[in-house]
Amino acid sequence: MADIQLENLTKTYKDVTALNNVTLSVHDKEFLVLFGPAGAGKTTMLKMIAGLEIPDDGLIKINDEIVNIVNPANRNVSMVFENYALYPHLSVYDNIASPMRSKLYKESEEYIERAIKDVTTKMKIDTLYERLPSQLSNGQRQRVALGRCLVRKPNVFLMDEPLAHLDAKLRHFMRAELKEMQSSFNTTTIYVTHDYMEALSLGDRIAIINEGQIVQLGTGSELFYTPCNEFVAKLMGEPEINIIPAQIIRDKDVVKMRIMKQETLVELPEDVAEFFRHNKIDTVDLGVRGNDLSYSETQTDPEFMEGKVFVLEPIGNRSILTVDIEEHHIRLIVPNDFQKEMDSTMYVKVDLTDTIFFDGETTEFLVRHNQTNLVKGGK
Amino acid sequence: MNAHRLHVAGKVGRNLLLVLWTLFALFPIFWMVLITFKSDSQMFNTTFWFNPTFENYEAVLFKTDYFKAFLDNIIVSAGAVLVSVVVGVPAAYALARFDFKKKEDLAFTILSFKFAPEILVILPLFMIYQKIGVYDSYFGLIWVYQLITMPLLIWVVRGYFEDVSVEIEQAAKLDGYRWWEIFLKILLPLIKPGLVSSALLAFIFAWNSFTFPLLLTSFNVETVTVASLKYIASDTVHYGQMAVAATVAALPEVILALIIQKHLVRGLSFGAVKG
Repeated sequence: MADIQLENLTKTYKDVTALNNVTLSVHDKEFLVLFGPAGAGKTTMLKMIAGLEIPDDGLIKINDEIVNIVNPANRNVSMVFENYALYPHLSVYDNIASPMRSKLYKESEEYIERAIKDVTTKMKIDTLYERLPSQLSNGQRQRVALGRCLVRKPNVFLMDEPLAHLDAKLRHFMRAELKEMQSSFNTTTIYVTHDYMEALSLGDRIAIINEGQIVQLGTGSELFYTPCNEFVAKLMGEPEINIIPAQIIRDKDVVKMRIMKQETLVELPEDVAEFFRHNKIDTVDLGVRGNDLSYSETQTDPEFMEGKVFVLEPIGNRSILTVDIEEHHIRLIVPNDFQKEMDSTMYVKVDLTDTIFFDGETTEFLVRHNQTNLVKGGK
Repeated sequence: MNAHRLHVAGKVGRNLLLVLWTLFALFPIFWMVLITFKSDSQMFNTTFWFNPTFENYEAVLFKTDYFKAFLDNIIVSAGAVLVSVVVGVPAAYALARFDFKKKEDLAFTILSFKFAPEILVILPLFMIYQKIGVYDSYFGLIWVYQLITMPLLIWVVRGYFEDVSVEIEQAAKLDGYRWWEIFLKILLPLIKPGLVSSALLAFIFAWNSFTFPLLLTSFNVETVTVASLKYIASDTVHYGQMAVAATVAALPEVILALIIQKHLVRGLSFGAVKG
C-alpha cells in the first residue's frame, strides 16, 4: 500500500532520452496502466520505481519518502519482468518461493507452501512445481513470473507486459483474474502494456507515454472519448480510428463543414458549431471510429460520400470493410455476413455526433459533441 | 535384408575406425607406461617382450626428490588457478556487465597475454624476477602463471556472465537479496559449468608449463616438468626413469579430467548458445 510520486524524472542513455521530465502521481491502491508504443520509456519508468535504474534528474517518492538512493531490495516492490527473469537453475516452486526466502522478507516454510499453492492455483500452474523454467512453455513461464510477483505483499506491484506472451484465450482469462485479484489485494499496481484492451479493462487510470513523456493521463473513457491528440486516438481501438481531413466553412453565423473535397457541405451538431463560432480554426481532422460510419449501396442522402471497396476482412464476429474515398482508406465495421465485391461502389456517411474534432495543423483535440456528458467529471 | 546387412556393415566399419583411432591416440601413452618397466639395459634392444622391473619407479620415487617437485607443482598450479578464479571471476563480471571506456581494448589485452611466446618474454622476466627478489619462489611462479591461466578463465567465464540476463539479477535484488547472496545463490550456479571447465583447463596448462619454471626457478621450487630433465645424465639418458616421472606427472590431470569430464564438454560449448 503506497502512494508513488514521480517528479520531473529524466533519464538519458548516451544520446537517447528515455524519459523527459516526467511527473506522475499514483494514488494508493490505484491500478495505473502505462500504455504506449515500443521504446516510449515505459519499462524505464518501472525500473526507476523499482530502483534498478537511477534517474539523471528528478525525485521518486514512495509514501512521501524520497527513495532515489534506496537500495532496490529495501523498497519492497514486486516486479514482473517482460522477459520473465526466472532463475534457470531453480524449480518453479523455488522460483516462486524465492522472495519469501530472502533475509529481508523471510516467511516460514509452511506459510510459503500455503501462499504458493494459493497463487499457483489461480494461475493454473499448480502441477508444475518440480519443473525447471527451461521445461516450460512461454505462457507457463510468464505465469510463473507473475506468480513470483503476486505471492508477495509489497508496497507496489510493477508489471511489465505480464500477459504479452499468453495465447488469446489465456490472456482473457488472466486479465479477468488479475482484475479480480487487484480488488482483493488492495495494492498499488503499475502495469505496462501495449494492448489497448488490457489498458481499458484493467486501468483505473491510464497514462499514455510517447518518446519519454506522458502525453495524456486519464480514465479509460476520457482517453477513448476525448483523446488529447490524434496519436492517442490512434492507439485506442481496433480498427485504428479514421482520420479524415475537413474544412470549416463559415457564412456569417452559419458554420458548415466540407469533408475532404466533397461538394456537399454538412451541418455540424449545435455544440460543435458553437465551438467553431468562437474559435477561428478552419482546417480540422475528423477522428471517426469504424462503427461511427453509416454505409449504403445507394446514395440515399447527399451527405453520403462515394467510394470504392478496397478490401473486406472478416475477423470473427464482425468484418472490417475498407473503402477508398478520394485516396483515403476509410475503415468501417460491418456485420460479418456482409458481402461485397472489391472495387464495387459504396456510399459512406460520417456520424458527426460521435466524431472527434482535431486541429488539422497541430493534431490536438478540439471538441466533440456531448463532451461533458461522455466524460463524467472531466480531467 | 540388404538394408539390414548394410546397417551392420556400417556399424562394424564405424567401430573399426574408432578402434584404429583409439590405438593411434593411446599408443604413445601405452608406450610411455611400457618403458617405465624396462631397465636401461633393455631399453633399446627389446620392444614388447622384456623382463619387467620396478627399478625405475624405485629410482625416481624413492631415490630422488621427485615428490618434492610433485608437491611444488601442485602448490604453484593450484595456487595459480585459485588466484585466477579470485581475480578473474570479478573481472569477467565487470567485462560482461559494465560499460566503460576501452572495455574491449582491455579484454583484448588480457587475451593477448596468451599470444606472446613464452620464450620471447622469459629473458626480461628473468632479469626482473632476479631484481625484485621473487626468482625461485612460489609467489613468483604463481604470478607468472597468471599469463597462462587468467586470460582463459576470464574469457570463458565472461561469456557465461553475458548469457545471464541482467533482469535475473534485478529480480533477485527485488526479492530482497544482497549482492553477495545474488552472486552465491544465482550467479555462481549459472556460471559453474564454465568456471569448472576453464579452471580445470587452466590447471592443466599451468601443470604442463615448462619454460617458466625452467628459467624462473632453481633449487627452492621445482616442478615435475623440470624435474623430468634430471634423468638426462651426462653419460646416458635414463628413458625409463623419465617415463616414470612423466607417467606420475600425468596422473592428476587424468584423474581430474575423468571426474569433471561431463562439465568439460558441456562447459566449453554451452556458454555460447542462448539457453
